[in-house]
Amino acid sequence: MREVEVVSPHAGLVKALLGTWAVLVYLFLFAPIVLLVLFSFNANRYGTFPFTGWTTHWYSEVFGNYQIKDALTTSLRVAAEVTLISTVVGTAAAFPLVRSRLPFRSGITVGMTLPIMIPGLLIGVSLLILMTSFFHIQLSVQTAVIGQAVYTTPFVLLLVAARLQGFDTSLERAASDLGANTFNRLRYVVLPLIMPAVFAGALFAFTLSLDEFIITLFLIGAQNTLPIYIYTQVKFGITPEVNALASLLLAASLVLIAFAFLLPAVLRRGRNAVRAGRA
Amino acid sequence: MPLSEGRLNRADLLKLGAAGAIGLTAAGPALGRTFTRQATTLNMLTWSDHYANDQLKAVAKATALQGRPTLFSDNSDAYLKIKQTGSQFDIVSGDALWVPKYLKDGLTESFDLSSLPVSKQLYPIARQFPFWKDGSNYMGYPFSWSTVQIYYNPKYVKVKPDSWHAILDRKYAGKISLENLPTDVMAIAGLATGTKKPYSMSTAEISRAKGYLKALKPNVLKLASQNNEVIRALADGSAWIGITNLGSDDRVKDAGGPVVKQSYPKEGTVGFIDSEQIVKASKNKTSFERFQNAMQQAPWIAKNFITNGRPLFNEKAYKLLVNQGHGDRATRLLYNQPEKALKMTIKGPAGDEQAYLDAFNEVFGA
Amino acid sequence: MTGAAGASDVPVPPPAEGQAVTRERAVGGRLAGLGQYAGFLPALVLYGVFFVAPLALIVAYSFWQTVDYNVVHDWTLDNYRYFFSVPTYLRTFWATIWVSVAATAITILIAFPFTYWLVRYVPRRIQGLLLVLVILPFWTSYLLRVYSWLNILGDRGAINRFLEWVHITDGPVSLFLYDRPAVILVLVYLYFPFAALTLYASLERFDWNQFKAAMDLGAPPRTAIVRILLPQMRTGITTAIIFVFIPILGEYLAPQLVGGTRGVMIGNLIVNFFSGGQYTRGAAAALLIAGLIVALLIVFRRSLEVEDPYRA
Repeated sequence: MREVEVVSPHAGLVKALLGTWAVLVYLFLFAPIVLLVLFSFNANRYGTFPFTGWTTHWYSEVFGNYQIKDALTTSLRVAAEVTLISTVVGTAAAFPLVRSRLPFRSGITVGMTLPIMIPGLLIGVSLLILMTSFFHIQLSVQTAVIGQAVYTTPFVLLLVAARLQGFDTSLERAASDLGANTFNRLRYVVLPLIMPAVFAGALFAFTLSLDEFIITLFLIGAQNTLPIYIYTQVKFGITPEVNALASLLLAASLVLIAFAFLLPAVLRRGRNAVRAGRA
Repeated sequence: MPLSEGRLNRADLLKLGAAGAIGLTAAGPALGRTFTRQATTLNMLTWSDHYANDQLKAVAKATALQGRPTLFSDNSDAYLKIKQTGSQFDIVSGDALWVPKYLKDGLTESFDLSSLPVSKQLYPIARQFPFWKDGSNYMGYPFSWSTVQIYYNPKYVKVKPDSWHAILDRKYAGKISLENLPTDVMAIAGLATGTKKPYSMSTAEISRAKGYLKALKPNVLKLASQNNEVIRALADGSAWIGITNLGSDDRVKDAGGPVVKQSYPKEGTVGFIDSEQIVKASKNKTSFERFQNAMQQAPWIAKNFITNGRPLFNEKAYKLLVNQGHGDRATRLLYNQPEKALKMTIKGPAGDEQAYLDAFNEVFGA
Repeated sequence: MTGAAGASDVPVPPPAEGQAVTRERAVGGRLAGLGQYAGFLPALVLYGVFFVAPLALIVAYSFWQTVDYNVVHDWTLDNYRYFFSVPTYLRTFWATIWVSVAATAITILIAFPFTYWLVRYVPRRIQGLLLVLVILPFWTSYLLRVYSWLNILGDRGAINRFLEWVHITDGPVSLFLYDRPAVILVLVYLYFPFAALTLYASLERFDWNQFKAAMDLGAPPRTAIVRILLPQMRTGITTAIIFVFIPILGEYLAPQLVGGTRGVMIGNLIVNFFSGGQYTRGAAAALLIAGLIVALLIVFRRSLEVEDPYRA
């Protein structure tokens, strides 16, 4: 006998209401972005209403702006170093976190997430004091890298640890039974299989670093990263150049995401084509 | 099979992403290199109205000295930053009586003004400010000046506010915009409560000033970080009253805003005279003179006036402005009367800076 | 579980579970015992020097004094005493907490129906895309997303212009900006993706057949939700609350840009103290909020445990 699905009489209404809610949510999420892009074409140099005219002047300003290029270069440099440090430190620490016998495991977990949950403000400020009043070293790009690494490493750690937790150790045991020592086990069995998580962690650290602001603000001295440059422009209220920059960054991210989504499909089709060719 | 397929694809994707990231990073320095060439970077700690991007670019091209500005709002912020960051900054801008403090505390160096050919373009009076003289040297290169007064939108503010107490009226709740300058706001509050020396108030006077600020607070819309923000608030109508520099009425009009009028309160007000100073610990001290020589040329200064509307000390620029047809505006804004600058109560560090900051913070929270 | 350390180069017949561990430890000896922690070393260095030490310094600073921009090592409770004696600061502290509570509550209340809709009514293939759309605004600068609200909420911003255009008002209504409600609104906007993602991860695992079973047994949908769905989502909701509430407590940028003089939060106070050279007072204020956060984390530590996103 066919199963009859019992459905509430209001099901259609609920579905419609929730659908409307979702649409409102998306409007809410995108309205500021749309305005942002809109104002990048506003001739009014104060970047507010009224709309005094249409122009692409601000975009050409962005491309000729030394400060933006400088900030972008610094941002990328910092992000590279931060990603390197976090990935190495985070991945290394994931192993004992998951595999060793730890006393106070939940306490250690809290400790590990503390750098993420503590306001970045606090990390920035405490490191500022440490560097200037204790070590007496000058603030620079390197000090900012250290500050950001403190913040991003737990993310890598958590991602890799989560992967390691679900890792099938029978593979390792099989390898060991076949004569592999620790190093070879790591190299040929464990690491390749956790690589996706490591890469995800690295990518995540990179992204976090690029948009990181508050820690960097306290620790970077006279240099600028892109977020700091934008903050200065917003706070000190200059021109819609900032809007143009933001629109460009948004466009770049859109391209990356489209790429990320289309790529697996493209790869799959390629693989299938190869397989079909071979068959 | 599909599962591992998915896993491989994800790994491929992530590898590509990482490769992309590494690629970008490798490209980064290359990008930077094409623009730096042989240029020395001079880090400037300054206000937003002391430079323009095209000016920095042109100067960099001509002198191979690239200015990199970091902005600040209150003098005490800049002072602390220089104290904390050692040789990170090469040039710091400062107001009036802050300049001698920088020098006295070993943070800046004085220099021979006449060794800069561009200094001949300055009004003579600007080269002789007694509080900036250090023997035969000068403590900073004079840049601009202005009084800080009330600007109001006559559409909503029917009666001209001619006193600091007039703006306490509850009609203006949430409609006043002023800059976040604790020391100077306290000084204004001091003037409003009858202090003779607003920058060296006694504890009792500070307490009275604090009382004034408490009464003012509900009327304050926002403490702005630079006067650009005050202009914006006046332009888009969110503020009816602004406490800001000369020339704001023109700037508000340029921003597409309404007509605003100026009012000079009867209790008096403060004003600033600012300059560019050499940071003592800087590694590029020898470049300062060449850099300023290019930055302070009259055409740039004239442009600066058109954008920011307050008077500067470059006399040659005034003549340029008159030739360009802006003479009226310049004269109206007292550009050709730099001696008026000395008549203001000029900004400086407070006697007890900490007490001022405390009082201000205790009223405004942050 | 086999440890990463401890070598076994000789092929042996597969031992029983418990035996493997002891054998490996026996082979490696004490080194195996300590060696398993080797991976912690880089982390210990990084965090020992650059996280624990600075925080310890902050704790110490909160009990010392600042005289004329220099820190003097006199132990005192003055900083805390001062903080609690200024009514504005106390008001800011409490305001921070209730703003955070309000923002968190609103965020979860908005995110829950949204996530419910996403999991229940949207085909699986599109769910990922729609989630990405939620995160997409994240890809623009955080600062600019806050800044663009100024153009919506301001007196000549989008809302006021719209109201004037449809003649509901005939002048700008300045209720919207530079006050606490604006801060709450912007915070909700900023943290919505956190809540949505966390709730999604939890809701996604729910077995909808239980719903059908409940309704077969005669329960109206509302009862089904309250008595079946919500209890199972409890950890998910708690995690979402933690991930939204705690970061909001330490927020600084949003209140600074849209808060005006009435929307100040404790983050602004702390920054103000530190950039004014008042390290010791700033440290005391910072510790107050950090202490609250640590206490919350300890109470809710179970919500922090992570599950394997790659499980089959």
